[in-house]
Amino acid sequence: MCLAVPAKIVEIEGQLVTVEVGGLTRQASIVLLPDASLGDYVLIHAGFAISRIDEKEALETLHLFEQLGNGDYGSISGPQD
Amino acid sequence: MPLPFLDDFRDRSQVRALLGELNARLEGGPVRRVMEVCGTHTMAISRQGIRQALPPELKLISGPGCPVCVTSNADIDRFIEISLLPGVIAATFGDMLRVPGTRMGLSQARGRGAQVRIVYSTLDAVELARKNPESEVVFFGVGFETTAPTVAAALVEARAADLTNFHVLSVHKVVPPALEALCAAPKLAVDAFLCPGHVSAIIGPEAYLPVAEKHNMPCVIAGFEPVDILQSLIMIVDQLNGDRSVVETQYNRVVQPGGNPAARAIMESVFDPCDAEWRGLGVIPSSGLSIKREFSGHDAGEKFDIDVSYSREPKGCICGSILTGVKIPTDCALFGAACNPGHPVGPCMVSSEGTCAAYYQYEI
Repeated sequence: MCLAVPAKIVEIEGQLVTVEVGGLTRQASIVLLPDASLGDYVLIHAGFAISRIDEKEALETLHLFEQLGNGDYGSISGPQD
Repeated sequence: MPLPFLDDFRDRSQVRALLGELNARLEGGPVRRVMEVCGTHTMAISRQGIRQALPPELKLISGPGCPVCVTSNADIDRFIEISLLPGVIAATFGDMLRVPGTRMGLSQARGRGAQVRIVYSTLDAVELARKNPESEVVFFGVGFETTAPTVAAALVEARAADLTNFHVLSVHKVVPPALEALCAAPKLAVDAFLCPGHVSAIIGPEAYLPVAEKHNMPCVIAGFEPVDILQSLIMIVDQLNGDRSVVETQYNRVVQPGGNPAARAIMESVFDPCDAEWRGLGVIPSSGLSIKREFSGHDAGEKFDIDVSYSREPKGCICGSILTGVKIPTDCALFGAACNPGHPVGPCMVSSEGTCAAYYQYEI
């Protein structure tokens, strides 16, 4: 049920966007992702864009082990005061 | 338009290289047991054949991450009873239709005249209320933090449009308290958590800090492609080998620090934390989401007083033990015989994210 599909925003009209998924278009709401913009790749879950997909991060992840290889993958520690 | 880099996350030579890395880190060492918490991960792992490809020192155990599966029979029965009331249109995501309740499932209720509508989005359920002002539309709010904000958005819209005939029966659950409850369970034999990608996109990696720090459990938030899952497992094994327990994010292209602030804000404006009953785990404090007083006019739990004292778990079904990683589907006497996708006895065989459905489809 937490399935989400990647899609590209091809049109924005207020809080409704048209996204392209695998060659098909459908409507989605960006009420949960208000700063989404045209051309963004987003994840669509049950008709809502829930997150942007960051291409730069994706490419960095693919090279994660080439770049680091030292067992430090950028963990987070406790809350900062 | 496909994602430009998606194929790279499915690349066979990368997958082979990562399996080699895993093997090198694990060979001759102790057996490590990692729980994949999320049902979407369970399905991806089964479909991709990852469980069988892993070195023998690494076991993947499925966890309580299928929202339909962890919904108690009492909650399912309550929704089914509501669906049978005159003047009610019961709206739900498709996964719930074939889940058996104590006396019947929603599909049988439909056969008895219940108006059950499958919706793709919660906004479709709001639309149903708008188009059917003479009916009470009741949406079954099942799901984790990925889904709860979409239900919150529907409630906000229904209130703004004064749709007094739109209601939600909220049995939403949140993941981190369940992981803490699992950590405290004496039967749990798990060394680390592969944490859900899309729940984490909403709540952010920080939400798992208590699990990593209080319970010393390594937590890695993973994407859903084979390269994602194998990279994440390497990160987990490195933590275990280094005797560390921190929260790391492999799924950086989607999961941001702090999660999704707009989704969290709308969820917090509509829901309050409450105790919730999970199939297999029992009642976990502050692990559920109840509808706030301001929205109580839309709360189906308040509007409909339903007695489900007759509710009980299906006889012989071990979904509860499977959801907590204590047993696997093939341990169940019903699996593949009396219980199969055509005739499911328990929810784990029905849902597209259920562990039994995943094993039945891909692993036997």
